[in-house]
Amino acid sequence: MTPFRSRSATEIRTQRPAATLVPIMRKLVTDSEDMLSRGPDDAKERAAAARAHAVDHLEELHTELRGNLERRGIGYHRAATAEEAVGIVRRLLGDAKRVAKSKTMVGEEVGLTPALRAAGIDVLETDIGEYIVDIEGRGPSHLTAPAIHLNRSRIRDLLTRGGADLPDDDPERLSRYVRDIVGDFFKDCDAGITGANVVIASSGRIGIVENEGNVSLGVSHPQLHISITGLEKVVADEAAALAVLEVLAPSATAQPLTSFTHFLADPVPGQQRHIVFVDNGRSRILRDERYRDVLKCIRCGACMNGCPVYRAAGGLSYASPYMGPIGAVVSPLLWPDGRYADLPFASSLCGRCSEVCPVGIPLHRMLLDLRADAVGQGKAGMAERAGWMAWALAFGGATRARATTAFARISLRGAGRIVRPQGNASDPRLLPEPTPPRDPANLRGASRHSTETIVAVEMEPPAPTDLATLFRLRAESLGVAVVRSARARKGDIVLEAAAGIASTGSVLLTGDATSRRPLLAAGRVVVRLNADTIVRYPSDLVPYLGDREALILTGASRTADIEKQIVRGIHGAEDLIVVLPEK
Amino acid sequence: MARVALFDPCYMAALRPGDAGHARRVLEALGDEVTLVDGRCCGQPAFNSGFRDEARTVGRALLRAAQPHDAVVVASGSCVSMAQHYLPELFDGARRDGAASIAKRFHEFGDYVATHPKAASLALKLEGVVTYHDACHARRELGVSARALELLARVQGLELRRLTYEDECCGFGGAFSVKLPEVSVAMMTAKLDDVRGTGARVLVSGDFSCLAHLEAGARGMGIELETWTLAELLSRALA
Repeated sequence: MTPFRSRSATEIRTQRPAATLVPIMRKLVTDSEDMLSRGPDDAKERAAAARAHAVDHLEELHTELRGNLERRGIGYHRAATAEEAVGIVRRLLGDAKRVAKSKTMVGEEVGLTPALRAAGIDVLETDIGEYIVDIEGRGPSHLTAPAIHLNRSRIRDLLTRGGADLPDDDPERLSRYVRDIVGDFFKDCDAGITGANVVIASSGRIGIVENEGNVSLGVSHPQLHISITGLEKVVADEAAALAVLEVLAPSATAQPLTSFTHFLADPVPGQQRHIVFVDNGRSRILRDERYRDVLKCIRCGACMNGCPVYRAAGGLSYASPYMGPIGAVVSPLLWPDGRYADLPFASSLCGRCSEVCPVGIPLHRMLLDLRADAVGQGKAGMAERAGWMAWALAFGGATRARATTAFARISLRGAGRIVRPQGNASDPRLLPEPTPPRDPANLRGASRHSTETIVAVEMEPPAPTDLATLFRLRAESLGVAVVRSARARKGDIVLEAAAGIASTGSVLLTGDATSRRPLLAAGRVVVRLNADTIVRYPSDLVPYLGDREALILTGASRTADIEKQIVRGIHGAEDLIVVLPEK
Repeated sequence: MARVALFDPCYMAALRPGDAGHARRVLEALGDEVTLVDGRCCGQPAFNSGFRDEARTVGRALLRAAQPHDAVVVASGSCVSMAQHYLPELFDGARRDGAASIAKRFHEFGDYVATHPKAASLALKLEGVVTYHDACHARRELGVSARALELLARVQGLELRRLTYEDECCGFGGAFSVKLPEVSVAMMTAKLDDVRGTGARVLVSGDFSCLAHLEAGARGMGIELETWTLAELLSRALA
C-alpha cells in the first residue's frame, strides 16, 4: 500500500472529508467562475503571460529587483536550501524572543515555525486558520483555507484544549476569540514575519494579500518585518502584479480582491524590512522543460478546489505543505528524495485542475510525466513491472490481444457478479460484468426527478456601464456603505482615496494614507473617493499606484477560516464607508 | 459513401462485446462502409501508470492497424484522447510526425456521427428516460460533449435528465480505481448520488470505461442502474 493510499484510506474512514469538502468546493468553484467573469475577458491570459515572463526571465528580474529593493532600504536575501532560509531568518531576528507570523506556504515548506521554536523563539501563528491547525498539530489542509478540514465543533474542542472557555461554537465567537489573542500578542512582540504574493522587479515593492488584518499588523511592526517567499514570486512590473492579483482572489476564495492588498515600499523610520527568497530546488525545476511552467503557480488553490481526489481524500492525505494537484506536482519536484513519489498517482487525470488553473499550468500532463519519472527511477514494484511487461506482450499482437480479451470476458462473466476488486470485502464495488443491458424496460422505469430539473440560476443583470454606478453596486455587495456625504464621528479615520476600482468595489490608498495601525484601530474607516478616479478593473490601476506604499481596501477586514462562514471586523473596523459625491 | 474503420477498444471487447455491432449499425445507417479494427489497444493503461515503453509497444500496433484508413471511429473518448494527444509524443523525430498524422484520423464516435454530412438523415426514436455521464476525456481533452448531447436531444420520445454536477469525474481513472480504491469509491459514490437524484435508471455515456465502473459500483451497492453506450442508444433508436 502506498503512503498516500494508506493515509487517504484512514482519512476517508475516520474523517469523511467529502462530507465537508464536496458541498463547500462545489459552491466555491461556481462562485469563482462568476467572480472571474466580472473581470476582463482576457484576465487569465494576461495573468499567465505575466507569470510566464517572470519564469522566463527569473535571474534578470532578480538582478533588477535587488537594486530596487536596496534603493528602498529593504534587505535582499537568497537561500539555496530550506536550512539556509531558516538560518537567514534566525540571523535577521537577532535576539527577538516573540515573533508574530502570518501565512506563508514557503514558511511551511522550509519548516520555519518549528525551527524557530526549537531555537527558543515564541512564534505565534496569527492567521486564524493557521492558529487553529497549529494547535491541532497536523498542518494546513488547504493552501488558502488551512482549517477547512475542521468543523466548528472540532475547532471549539481544539481551542478549549488550548485553554479557551467558549460557551458555544459560533464561528463568529471562535474567530473573535483567536483575533483577541493575536491582537494582544501584536501589542508586545519583537518582529513580524509574512509571506509575499508578488515582488515587483521594476519598483522594488512587495505585494501581499490578506483578509484578516494580521498581515497589516505584521508588515507595520515598528522594528522588524521579514517577508519570506519563493524565488519565482518576482514579476516584471506593476501591470504584471495587478494581472496576477486580478485572478488570485477570485480563483482562491471567489472574492473580487482580498480585503487588504498591500504594496510595501520603504520601511518607516526605525523599521527594518527584509525579504528572503527561497530557492530550495526551484532553480533545478527551472532547468527541466517539462516542469518549469509549474513555477508560474500563484498558489491560489483553485486546482484543489476543483479536484475530486482532493475533495474525497482531504488535504492532509498528501502529507505535504502543498496538497491537491499542485501538491502532487510540486512536492516530488521540490523533494526529489522519493518521499512524495506516489503523489503523482493520486489523480484520476480528469483534467479539472488544468482547466481551472488561472495561469494555465498543464497540471494533469505534468502528473503523467512525473509518473513516468517515478517508474524510471524504479519506484514501481516488481509485480507491477512484470504485469505491464506481460500486458505489452499480450496487446502487442492482434491474435494474442483477442485471446486475452476473450479470456477476460469469460472469466468476468462468472466472477463479475460476485467478486469484489482485489478481494477487498470493504470495497462496495463488484468487478465489472460483461453483459449488455438486458432490460430495455428500465428506460421507462424512471422515478420522479428528486433534484431540481432546472437549477434556478439568478440571472445577474448586465453590469452598469457607468463606473460610479458599478462601483457602488460592487462595494455595497461587500457590505461597504457608499454615501454622498458623511458626518465624522468620534473614532473615525477619514482618508482620501487615490482611486477606486469599479468591478471590485475597492478603494486605493497611497502614501501616508496607508498607515496601517491607525487604520485598523479606527472605529469606522471613512474614505473619500472622487468619481473621476474610478477605473474599471484592478489592472487599470497602474497610473494611480505611485512609487510609495499603496493599499487597496476591498470591503472590511474579515475571515472565512471556519466553515467558510464570513465574519467581518477581525483586526480592523467592521464598517468601511466610502464617500462618493455626485458628479 | 465514406469508408471508415471502426476501432473496437480492448476493454470494450472484453466487457461490452456487442457494442461494436451497435456502432457499426449507426455508421452504416449514415451510409458509411465500415471495416472493423480489433485486437488492439491505444496503450493508455500503461501510459497512465508511467510505463511508457510498454505503452509505445502496444500503441504502435494500433497505429499500424489504423494506417491504411482515412478515418478511424472509436466509441470511447479516452482512447481517442490517448491516440491524439499522447501516443505521438512517445515517438521521436520522423516517427512522431508519422504517428501524429495517423492519430489525427481518429474520431470520437458521437463527434463523428453528429458532424457527419448525413447526420440529419438519421431517424431516431426511443421512448424513455435517461441521464448522461460526461466523461472527462471527452469533455476536457476532446471537447466533444456538446455533440453527444446534441444527438441525445434529437432522439424522439427520449427524455434526457441532466446531472447536477455533470463536470465531475466518476472516480474511474483506469488503474487509479484499483490503486486508490477508497478515493475512487468516494468519488463514485458522489456521482451515483447525482445519478440517483435524476430518477433515471439508464445512464448513457460515450465512454464505456466510466460506465463499467459506475455499473459495477451500482450493482455492488444494490442501486438499480443500467448503463448504455451512446452507440447502443442510437442503434436502438434507429427505426
